[in-house]
Amino acid sequence: MNSLERVAAAINFQETDRVPVIAQVFGHAASLAGVSLDDYVQDGETLARCQLHALKEYGYDAVFSVMDVSVETEAAGSVLRYLRDQYPVVEKYALSTDGDWDELPIPDPLKAGRMPEMLKALRILRREIGDRTLVVGCVMGPFTLTTQLLGMETALYLAIDDPSRLERLMDFATETVIRFGRAQLQAGAHLPIVFNPSASPVVIPPQFFREFELPRLKRVFQAFMGSGAVANWLHIAGPVGPVLPYYPTAGVHIANFDYCISPKEAMDGLPATCLDGNIRPVSFIDGSPEDIEAEAAKLLDAFRNRGGFILSSGCEIPPESKPKNIAAMVNSVRAR
Amino acid sequence: MGEHLMTNLITAILEGDCAESVSQAKSLLGGGVSPEQVVTDGIEAAMSRLDAKCTLEQFNLLEIMLAGRAVMEIMKLLYPSGIAMAASKGTVVIATLEGDIHDLGKNILKTVLIGKGYRVVDCGKDCPLQKLIDIVEKERPLAVAISGLITPIIPLVRQVKDMLLLRRLDCVKVIAGGAALKQSSASRLNVDFLAESAFDVLPYLDEFTGGRK
Repeated sequence: MNSLERVAAAINFQETDRVPVIAQVFGHAASLAGVSLDDYVQDGETLARCQLHALKEYGYDAVFSVMDVSVETEAAGSVLRYLRDQYPVVEKYALSTDGDWDELPIPDPLKAGRMPEMLKALRILRREIGDRTLVVGCVMGPFTLTTQLLGMETALYLAIDDPSRLERLMDFATETVIRFGRAQLQAGAHLPIVFNPSASPVVIPPQFFREFELPRLKRVFQAFMGSGAVANWLHIAGPVGPVLPYYPTAGVHIANFDYCISPKEAMDGLPATCLDGNIRPVSFIDGSPEDIEAEAAKLLDAFRNRGGFILSSGCEIPPESKPKNIAAMVNSVRAR
Repeated sequence: MGEHLMTNLITAILEGDCAESVSQAKSLLGGGVSPEQVVTDGIEAAMSRLDAKCTLEQFNLLEIMLAGRAVMEIMKLLYPSGIAMAASKGTVVIATLEGDIHDLGKNILKTVLIGKGYRVVDCGKDCPLQKLIDIVEKERPLAVAISGLITPIIPLVRQVKDMLLLRRLDCVKVIAGGAALKQSSASRLNVDFLAESAFDVLPYLDEFTGGRK
């Protein structure tokens, strides 16, 4: 069984030769290769080279063309500040509440900002890996991109002060995400993971998620399946228990769950959906291989009879993580 | 003036209705209620209710921000010249450290602390460690609270207590919180207290102020 077949089997709750393991290694691939994060997030070739190096080093089941959470907002006009060994941050948001949003142009993934570099990385990764390992692209969720276009505080206040205007912007974000995701699939991604941290119940109430975000997520996932995605993967951080029941309606096939959700809560919320998680990300920095092995063993035991599970971290494995801790997670599935 | 007369104000704050909150506060002031009473019987009571919701994990950023906006607008009405409240429980210095520009958590803590009668000195985001220590030395606060969304600031957080000790400011408690930091532990971060949420800071500070008003 190769990695792609193993992940596909886990999604369908079929038997696998071992539990798939996907380390959410993004910027850490740069640290591992001795490349600055600044270069990694701006150059598709560097990103692909570092990802291939990390795959060779750790031997897990997926590679990622993920730069950071600001690719789409930059392409739409936000100004970023690039930092040597950190992810870039938004210095000036693309939009303000007093602007005219009626005819915002959807960013062209072949031209706008760093989108072409992300596509370049996907082309290289797919060319080198083929269908042996899952090649994952990345887009923001519609509400997350909305908060990245306006700033979190402004977007949240707008949700209350002028909800119809917020919805117009969320529609723009949705179209941006669909166009970018489709381009990623054309470039070679097996699927684009949808990162949606701003849609977490710690940020917005579940009712808001249901009314505003769910219909748009559904549109995004339908578009991706229609463009050849092998599955839909949703990543929302934090205590997602109250919104898990909406995932199947959205069209989710793989659901990431964070460290603050117990395996039981995740399984109860999504009894027929493949889950991936949920080792505490900071443990990869300040823990030991034994700590990681213990966390992994608990998870593997919890899902032993259920299946439909990919061993992973609750969120991104931080760039400064210790390599031996990531290796410990990967080895946990091989030791069984 | 009992809390029952404050009910409308408390409800408006909890519902995040900014205009109604300010309107209710104006009515109370017009009826002879002092600004201090609006704070203690109105704003603080509303904050305690939010705190209770938070403890039950029935809260989200949107609700807290809306309540926070209402509180800040009322404070502007009560203290238009920005003069610090006379009846302060004590000073807390807050900051988001250099390299981290995600200051929403810090701003929420600021609102919660002001709403509960603390004086807050805000060092802002992307704050160099040296600047933070200088401000602590000048202000001599009860505590310094640091928020962190991203992991690269962890090494900076670990230095704060030792830097305070070098300036003989070790009586100042060090509090940490935020998405990245709260995954760790107080001992690993070398801080006195690791807060799960902004509201979590209040009972900890009350240990030192005796919850005095």
